[in-house]
Amino acid sequence: MPGTTAVPEIEIIVDDIGGGGGGPTPPPGGGDDGNGDGDDRNRRRRWSPSPKRYSTAITIGIVSILMFFMALASAFIVLRRGSDLWVTVHLPRILWANTCVLLASSFTLESARRRLDLADSSGFRKFWLMTTVLGFLFVGGQLVAWRQLVAQGVYIASNQASSFFYIFTGAHAVHLLGGVGALLFVGFRKSEKTRISLPAATEITSYYWHFMDGLWIFLLALLYLGK
Amino acid sequence: MDTYYSETNHEESPQGGFLSRYVFTTDHKTIGLNYLWLALFSVFLGMAMSLPMRIHLAWPGMHLPLLSSLGNSPERFAALTTLHGSLMVFLVLTAAPQAGFGNYFLPLQIGAREMAFPTLNLLAFWATVASLLGLTTTFFLSPQSAITLWVVSVAIFCAASLVNALNFSVTTIDLRAPGMTLPRLPLTVWAWFLNAILGTLIFSILLAACVCLLSDRLMGTHFFPVLNFVAHQPSGVISNAVPVLWRRLFWFFAQAEVYVAMLPCFGLATHLISTFSRKPVWKERLVVLALCGVGVFGFCVWGQHMFSSGMNPFSPLVFSLLASSLGIPATILVVSWFGTLWNARLQLNTAMLFSLGFISLFLTGGLSGIFLARHDLASAAAVSDDFVTGHFHLVMGVAATFAILGALFFWFPKLFGRRLNEPFGKLHFWLTFAGVYCVFMPMHWLGLIAHSRVSSTTLASLPGASSSIHTFITIAILLTVFAQGLFLINFLWSLFHGERVLECNPWRATTLEWSVSSPPPADDFGASDPVVYRGAYEFSVPEAAEDFVPQHLAPEQVVKARKAGE
Repeated sequence: MPGTTAVPEIEIIVDDIGGGGGGPTPPPGGGDDGNGDGDDRNRRRRWSPSPKRYSTAITIGIVSILMFFMALASAFIVLRRGSDLWVTVHLPRILWANTCVLLASSFTLESARRRLDLADSSGFRKFWLMTTVLGFLFVGGQLVAWRQLVAQGVYIASNQASSFFYIFTGAHAVHLLGGVGALLFVGFRKSEKTRISLPAATEITSYYWHFMDGLWIFLLALLYLGK
Repeated sequence: MDTYYSETNHEESPQGGFLSRYVFTTDHKTIGLNYLWLALFSVFLGMAMSLPMRIHLAWPGMHLPLLSSLGNSPERFAALTTLHGSLMVFLVLTAAPQAGFGNYFLPLQIGAREMAFPTLNLLAFWATVASLLGLTTTFFLSPQSAITLWVVSVAIFCAASLVNALNFSVTTIDLRAPGMTLPRLPLTVWAWFLNAILGTLIFSILLAACVCLLSDRLMGTHFFPVLNFVAHQPSGVISNAVPVLWRRLFWFFAQAEVYVAMLPCFGLATHLISTFSRKPVWKERLVVLALCGVGVFGFCVWGQHMFSSGMNPFSPLVFSLLASSLGIPATILVVSWFGTLWNARLQLNTAMLFSLGFISLFLTGGLSGIFLARHDLASAAAVSDDFVTGHFHLVMGVAATFAILGALFFWFPKLFGRRLNEPFGKLHFWLTFAGVYCVFMPMHWLGLIAHSRVSSTTLASLPGASSSIHTFITIAILLTVFAQGLFLINFLWSLFHGERVLECNPWRATTLEWSVSSPPPADDFGASDPVVYRGAYEFSVPEAAEDFVPQHLAPEQVVKARKAGE
């Protein structure tokens, strides 16, 4: 029993240090509130990396993923311009429905976070679960779109436009599944065992999820305008 | 690959518990050290590969063991060149200064006890090992499957580097000790940090290019149609017809990759020069700006290579200007190095010698780079790639290696609690220094000779001269490579029998890693968290008792030390 009570204590103290930092650069002396107590062993046990690292990481990760898709997009634009025989891919109708599903999931995610702010635990769980289901629905919808194209005889190797269609949707779906994984992790985690607090976890998940949302709109626009 | 494992086993595991202590540990120090072992193995493998290549160029008739046993065909030579390049660029130049030294010393220098995401760090390391295995295996496969495996390995390496870069930037942003403000960061940390940011941008691009290439090879798509065509031709037919798109994506990455390898080396060299000149870095803020500038410009000059390879980008002038403007941050760095060295009481130990060698090589290589930044000359130089090869190796390969070696001599006492042998090290330095100049200077001449032969027929009588130059280069290479044996002996001997370092701070340096015992304790800083009170380069401070003030020393302790000194 003493072990289990010690862990949340550490969590709280760490959060306090992080909150006192205010901004990405901890000011000098901002973290040495424990300087006077002299209990060195206690201090060492308490050292834990700043909890802000998760949101920093997700920001940098988003930039990196954006760069990945920008490279693909620039390849698309270069090949689209350079080719005279560009065979267009007829975008399946279901993509528009999928887009609506994804947009809706962003709204349910925000609702979930608002419920969490209001300390409405069951409401949070409901909306969070709804977001997860919508995420799966979107990926399923993308698969249906693939099946429809395959039924029309449009394969990944058919022409450059179809290659790009499959690569864009595929890469986006893989990244989105990462987001779904995060949603599942946050939804079903045992809160005592994790190092990251629930509000922080929901916050960084929402960053990523909204980014996936915006990225999809961008890719769809690219595919649509590139016809 | 047995060699790699036996090497690590042999040197790293005195007792049991090997797996948990060295393989699956998330400790940043062990991971950093593992990267260094990996780089050490790769550098000797890569160097061993350059030998048959040069021997083949100098004496084409000779039957070489590795090449001829596998069929002495042009494909084997191309495979050897590719493998040499990929091992050196990815696993040595990218991995050693950044992932190796960075993993070990970045947390120590900023006063953190671990990286931001230790598990990811471990994952990235093993992904890097996997990519090394993949790259090496390619040599023993048929060309078609070898190319696919090569692309997969590079993609894995990209993913690992992305994770690493993410980890480094987050660690620097969020895990600094109290008092470690951005201006107080050592320049090594600045370089690692900026490099990590650059890495998150460019490795995504290479990853995207690899994904497209893989889908071309495995799923029959047509992102790079000509490249597939080329791959299916017999090797003699390969022409200049590498498609535009691949070039664009690849150079976007590769031009910046040069700076990915160089940035940490700039940081290391500056750090060492300041420490062993016993002087603060001259215009430290400006140096930080210059490092940023190298990153930004390095990211923007990818178009430079388009005209080097004969393709016209939007505007050669713009890229030529951008490439030349890289000279500005480079000049600032050089001026700062000389400003630091000016009137200094130099301590010419091996680490310092290697940093000075780095400056020399960087200056020489940089001068030839100015020629390449002029777009007409660049396209001419591309006709014969000896000039480019010389320039590239001098700046990126050898200069970076010098910085890495300097850093190794500098940090060896901290890593292993022993010193590398100094006389041996100095001998190794001078042999290598003379050797690389003998190798790469004539290579520039070869390039110029070939160029003049293309542009005019007056010098057509030169093939004799160029073949004797080839022979000279090859002999010089053989000697230089054997000089590295000295280093290997010194390294292995010092590891077990080197002079023990009992004090924490044998170089009397200022940064935080020197405030802990050598090698550092498992939790880095022992019982008390470090607090930082001043900048990283407080050397020759007038009022201090000694000629340096460490970053972690509280002001009242400085006063006390001064009184004791008086």
